[in-house]
Amino acid sequence: MTTRAEFMARIRAELGKTRGLPPATPARRPERPRVEAEAIRAELAERWPEALERFRHELEKVGGVFYRVATLAEVVPVVAGIARERAARRLVSWHAAELGGDLGPALTAHGLEPVAMPPGEVASAAELGLTGVDLAIAETGTLVLSSGAGRPRSTSLLPPYHIALFDRTALVESLAQAGVFLELWHADGEPGNRGAVISFITGPSRTADIELTLTRGVHGPKEVHAIFVEAPIRG
Amino acid sequence: MSQADLSIPFRRRAGRAMEDAFLQEALTIATTKFIGLRREAFDAFPEGERLRDVAREIKEATLQHLDRYLEQLIGNVERFGGRVHFATTPAEARAVILEIGRRAGARMAVKSKSMATEEIHLNEALEEAGIVPVETDLGEYIIQLAHERPSHIIAPAIHKTKGQIADLFGKELKRTVPADPEALTKLARGELREKFLQADLGITGANFAVADTGTVVLVTNEGNGRMVTSLPRVHVAVMGVEKVVPSMTDLMVFLAILAKSATGQKLSVYTTLVQGPRRAGELEGPEEFHLVVLDNGRVDQLAGPLREALDCLRCGACLNVCPVYRQIGGHAYGHTYPGPIGILLTAMLNGPGSVKELAHASSLCGACVDACPVRIDIPRMLIELRREVDEKRIAPWIERVVFTSVGWLLARPLLYGLAGRIARVLQRPFVRDGAIRSLPLFGDWTRTRDLPAVASRTFRERWSELERETPR
Repeated sequence: MTTRAEFMARIRAELGKTRGLPPATPARRPERPRVEAEAIRAELAERWPEALERFRHELEKVGGVFYRVATLAEVVPVVAGIARERAARRLVSWHAAELGGDLGPALTAHGLEPVAMPPGEVASAAELGLTGVDLAIAETGTLVLSSGAGRPRSTSLLPPYHIALFDRTALVESLAQAGVFLELWHADGEPGNRGAVISFITGPSRTADIELTLTRGVHGPKEVHAIFVEAPIRG
Repeated sequence: MSQADLSIPFRRRAGRAMEDAFLQEALTIATTKFIGLRREAFDAFPEGERLRDVAREIKEATLQHLDRYLEQLIGNVERFGGRVHFATTPAEARAVILEIGRRAGARMAVKSKSMATEEIHLNEALEEAGIVPVETDLGEYIIQLAHERPSHIIAPAIHKTKGQIADLFGKELKRTVPADPEALTKLARGELREKFLQADLGITGANFAVADTGTVVLVTNEGNGRMVTSLPRVHVAVMGVEKVVPSMTDLMVFLAILAKSATGQKLSVYTTLVQGPRRAGELEGPEEFHLVVLDNGRVDQLAGPLREALDCLRCGACLNVCPVYRQIGGHAYGHTYPGPIGILLTAMLNGPGSVKELAHASSLCGACVDACPVRIDIPRMLIELRREVDEKRIAPWIERVVFTSVGWLLARPLLYGLAGRIARVLQRPFVRDGAIRSLPLFGDWTRTRDLPAVASRTFRERWSELERETPR
């Protein structure tokens, strides 16, 4: 078996043979990601309606469904409506603290069966998955979700209908801006409270592997619903 | 197996593909569609051209300091509780993965689409070791049921009709199934959902690996990449050593152009960033994370003639635009990686001797360079390969004699002029309508092309006449 030392030695030996290559540099990284991230937030405090409109447009283009409500409480009838139209009842959800509020009792009152923090097989049996969002990227209509305690990976993956809640603090305009936040989240080099996975979700699961016929929901959800809450979810 | 048998010459493999009417239609439809989608995506993305240059420079910068970035990646993967393994050869990579499987007591492995694991022929090895490999990308699942290999880097089953797929599923499920893409997809979802929940081992490739954070990045549309990295107890990622990128900022540049080049999407549906095994407080995710770093001919090219091919993102854009690929499809190439870039990668993996025919399976038109998100100069390297193949005396003797003689002649103007005058006489029996349609000994050449006849007056003769006529 090749050891790390042997493997690296071979690479160094080959690199030593390269001569006269034009100098090249990687992309310029934010020197102070926190400052740049705050600058992006400050700009978006003004510009968010345009970014939100672009997000809606792009999300719809990739087959997602967009909703806009005033407060977190108004999310409940929207979720209940989605469930009713699809004859779905069983709902798995991120933990209330990660969602920004406990919608469980209200959802139950609307006839749903919420289950918090599911292990994989439970989520597989559920029809609806309710999550929060860490970033919503306007340029591509993408939802970025970090896993962690109270934020199972499978909530946005196993149920056929994924419903995600976000507010204006999650909005960014571009992939490049999202990159600043990714740099920020990793800046101290420590895992902190984050889980091991960050998922970028751009619309419902799709395939075109059979005669290029676009089909949704092959492994992941066949529908993605993004609900924008006007009042900031976390204070 | 319907994939190419390498004992048959390339020309015959290509010929068979061209006689396959369904394949011809499928190839035309698929590649034309992909070309259009890619063009629309870049037309709507003004920064695209600049980002392609930036991406290329990032690749170049990473390769120049690959030792440093790889050390950084390894350090970070280990810090987050992952294990890193090194494989110089496919056999070593297989042994590493089988050992991980054995220790985990694995009986089934779910796989997300990965060219690196195709390249090391992992599935056969898993089967022999008693671990059932299950391909979970729908296209890969189809070709696994058919016991074939992918015919396109991103659309592995474009050569199959829905009828053929329905037959394959029917045989697997032991009942008749409708030849309808939607119904077939639903069936596969159900079948594979079971397997995701059962499997002990999840095996993926890696589209990128971020050195600064120790993150392995997977890009999929179906969500199988997320399944494979969330549900089984052990996750093994197999990556070519060149897949390292320095930072998250760099990653964003590649993400902005990768899907647009591959399928014309702004972003693929799922981009999954995996930083080691599950963390404290997480109820899901693998307990073990292994990264297998694969050489298999790549390291030799860091200072080799195929160095640029190490920049490849495996998007498949060069396949779609290639006039040769569009005619013959992926299987005729006979190796893991088809298309123009595939010829270079095959030479990288198996040595130049393996592409003595394939090096010529290109018109050198350059459409691949224009389509490549990082502008890899594929024709330049194909010419280089042709030269190498010739130097190593792999080319047919007639070709070597002719090219050596022509090279000698071109360096001697007087003899060249004389040869032209002689050729003018000798060609007479063969010229019809100003072209040589067939030539003894050169039947292979003239079978598909005409050679223009040597002109009655050469350029140099006309030039000296013009000089005499034109007053100074």
